[in-house]
Amino acid sequence: MTAKRIFKNLTLLVILAIMVWALWPEREKEATAPQTGTEPGSQAESVREVKYEIRMVPGPYMPGTVPMNIGDPLEALQRVADEFERLYPDTKIEFVNVPSLREWLVTQLSSGKAPDILSVNVEDAWQDVHKGWYVPLDEFLEKPNPFVEDGDPGSEQWWDIFKYQAITRGKAAPDGKMYCIVLDMVETGIFYNKDIFRKLSLEVPTDWEEFVDLMKQLGEADYVPILLSLTRMYDWGLDLIFDQLYYSLLPGIDLKKDPIREEYMQGYLDWDELSFLFGKGFFTRDDMRFREIWRILKEWRDYANKNLQSEVLTKLFVTQKAAMYWDGSWMVQKFSKSPDIDFEWGVFYPPPIPSSYSEFADGHDMCVIGGAAAQYEITSSAIRDTGDIATSERLRRCVAFLQFLTKPRNAELVVNEVSYFLPNVKGTSPVEALLPFDEMLKRRYTTTKWVYTFDNRFLDVLRRMLMLYLDGSITIDEHLEWMEKNVASATSTVARRKELQLTDFEKRWKELEPYRKDMKGLPDGAR
Amino acid sequence: MGRAKLFGAGRYISCYLLLLPTYVLVSVFSFVPFIWAFSKSFYRYEVGGESEFIGFANYLEYFSDPTFGPSFYHMGFLTAFAVVVGIVVPLIVAKLIFSLRSEKLKHIYRLLFLAPIVVPRVAVLMIWRFMIYDDGGMINEFLRVLRLGEMATGWLFNPTTALWAVAFIGFPFASGIHILIFYAGLCNIPESVHEAALLDGATGARKFLTVDVPLVLSQIKLLVILTIISWVQGFEWILIVTQGFPGYKTMVPGLWMYYNAFSFQRMGYACSIGVILFLVILVLTVLNLRYFKSAESVQGVG
Repeated sequence: MTAKRIFKNLTLLVILAIMVWALWPEREKEATAPQTGTEPGSQAESVREVKYEIRMVPGPYMPGTVPMNIGDPLEALQRVADEFERLYPDTKIEFVNVPSLREWLVTQLSSGKAPDILSVNVEDAWQDVHKGWYVPLDEFLEKPNPFVEDGDPGSEQWWDIFKYQAITRGKAAPDGKMYCIVLDMVETGIFYNKDIFRKLSLEVPTDWEEFVDLMKQLGEADYVPILLSLTRMYDWGLDLIFDQLYYSLLPGIDLKKDPIREEYMQGYLDWDELSFLFGKGFFTRDDMRFREIWRILKEWRDYANKNLQSEVLTKLFVTQKAAMYWDGSWMVQKFSKSPDIDFEWGVFYPPPIPSSYSEFADGHDMCVIGGAAAQYEITSSAIRDTGDIATSERLRRCVAFLQFLTKPRNAELVVNEVSYFLPNVKGTSPVEALLPFDEMLKRRYTTTKWVYTFDNRFLDVLRRMLMLYLDGSITIDEHLEWMEKNVASATSTVARRKELQLTDFEKRWKELEPYRKDMKGLPDGAR
Repeated sequence: MGRAKLFGAGRYISCYLLLLPTYVLVSVFSFVPFIWAFSKSFYRYEVGGESEFIGFANYLEYFSDPTFGPSFYHMGFLTAFAVVVGIVVPLIVAKLIFSLRSEKLKHIYRLLFLAPIVVPRVAVLMIWRFMIYDDGGMINEFLRVLRLGEMATGWLFNPTTALWAVAFIGFPFASGIHILIFYAGLCNIPESVHEAALLDGATGARKFLTVDVPLVLSQIKLLVILTIISWVQGFEWILIVTQGFPGYKTMVPGLWMYYNAFSFQRMGYACSIGVILFLVILVLTVLNLRYFKSAESVQGVG
């Protein structure tokens, strides 16, 4: 009986051991991870005294990750960090992955435990700059980048090193200060299946009417004409169509000429301007342009995939069930490297809306809505050595690393390791497949960015209601009612948080009255 | 000495001292946050920002919040659904297992129903979201096989199906823990009661409804309270599977509280929602305790 029991237990033990052995990770896989501190010169690392341990969220360049599961694990940023650590032996750069949730970020920032360098859209940071969670970088940007050779861009002012100046400087916060370093650029585009276009004798559209006609023909040929997601609609679509319908009004409604940003932003409407304009009847049910935006988005949506929240859009494009796909330049990584793609593809930008399609449009080119991709902010965690921006050596190490990262050779190495984005540093070139996006980025900057202008509550209501409206669950009037309340709530919140003095705009509003005189379709209170 | 008397008896003082750390920890981690949240519900308070006393303004704003009515309706619907299916199905399963003659089979079935609890809740929710309800998920693929492809939809993101889809997560609702609790309750019914029921001619479904169910009322009461608390407080299901989409069609007050606290940074407002939820749970629990007769009272009457 005892022997039987021993035999039974031994058998179980053997089975368990075999299972553990079978599931144990292979040695070769471990070896593919980027190695640190193994190169000549770094032997001293194990014994060096690390005084500044800097935690950085590298965003899309996280060493060891495999973008879209295509190619080898990334290692360029780790190599740059290793080189930096050799220059500053008392500094250690640690890359960390964090949840992309704003909820996580807010709790970390408020408790002073956030990583020293973050990668978030700077508009998110704008919401909280008055709380002292982020370090303004202007004083560093106005000084030379010490890693640049004399005479090269950036040797006088770090600012000059950036290739896409308008977009980069446009990332300054409405308080005029710059809280981020823009390493690279991204842009959106409509990817299309050239084989399907050829088969149906279709051409790339030159205006919105042709675009709608094109989608109609594709639908009739039993293709999903275009793949859209809800995110693309409320983030990119809204800004594009808004710019198409409101840009011509700017001479009469652009109330603020920002001395620093105006040269680059060209009439961009900030939250204070939008709040004031809302008080004059814009962005309400009485604003015909506002109504027109949603109508156009709805019509567009009707040519798209059934489920705007679908997780399988890429699959539909790859399997040639859909002819067009509106997405970002990061998809180039997939389309240019994936073995699943066995058709020719191209990319074009959404075409302008002519006046024949909408009485409020004038056919000007669609604006840029992409722009800055990886935006690195330095948080208040960086100054915890002295608690003072002026004296913190730790902060200077963080800045130095970002300066080192924006050195042309390093930026090109890191950014071009994946076919996602275009390096935003002079003296660098993007990978060839991304060149069409380089042309798109030369367009004028957007008139406003709705998603990033107000608080997250505004965004929450926007995306939820827009989805119901686009799917036909609520009418345009119901949607407008929600949006009017939403803008009202958002403008009052931003006015309270930022202590906005909107009455200052009254004088300028009166000065612009002659410009508005002949403008059609203005709300009643806006003359 | 006098103080010891105050606590009942001097010889128990060491027991009280041993319990003290637990009470301190419970106070620090449960009572203090509650009192803090209650007080902050009267403030306009942003994370990292200044506080401003605004009295009942947060409460009044919440009562006029467009999500208020729908989210309480969704919470009520999901709670009621969970209470019904979370009681009925496990009770029937427990009775079926209890009725088996073979002790070995009873053991195996209990084990089989309990085994799925080792799968993390998040994993289960992900399976439902991506493998069952998704565009290319099991339900839609099954419909396509039956040539009913036009009925395929994004179950969690279709306004007409979303709430039901959330409610059906966990189908067939045979929760292992619930089954075990009911099984224990059934085992506790004295043999004399079964014999008396047989003598009275009560068998099968009649015996189940008139004898077994009243005698497991304590277990039913416990599970009703736990389910109510879980669905009124909890929002992780919804957060993981729909985030309250489409529109606010699956929004529940707990999730709205979470969004306000950490996404919208309106901590004071979120605290006021939390206080309201606390009151809802308190009222439901008191009602349940007061109007739901326990097995003891049933037996007492008998």
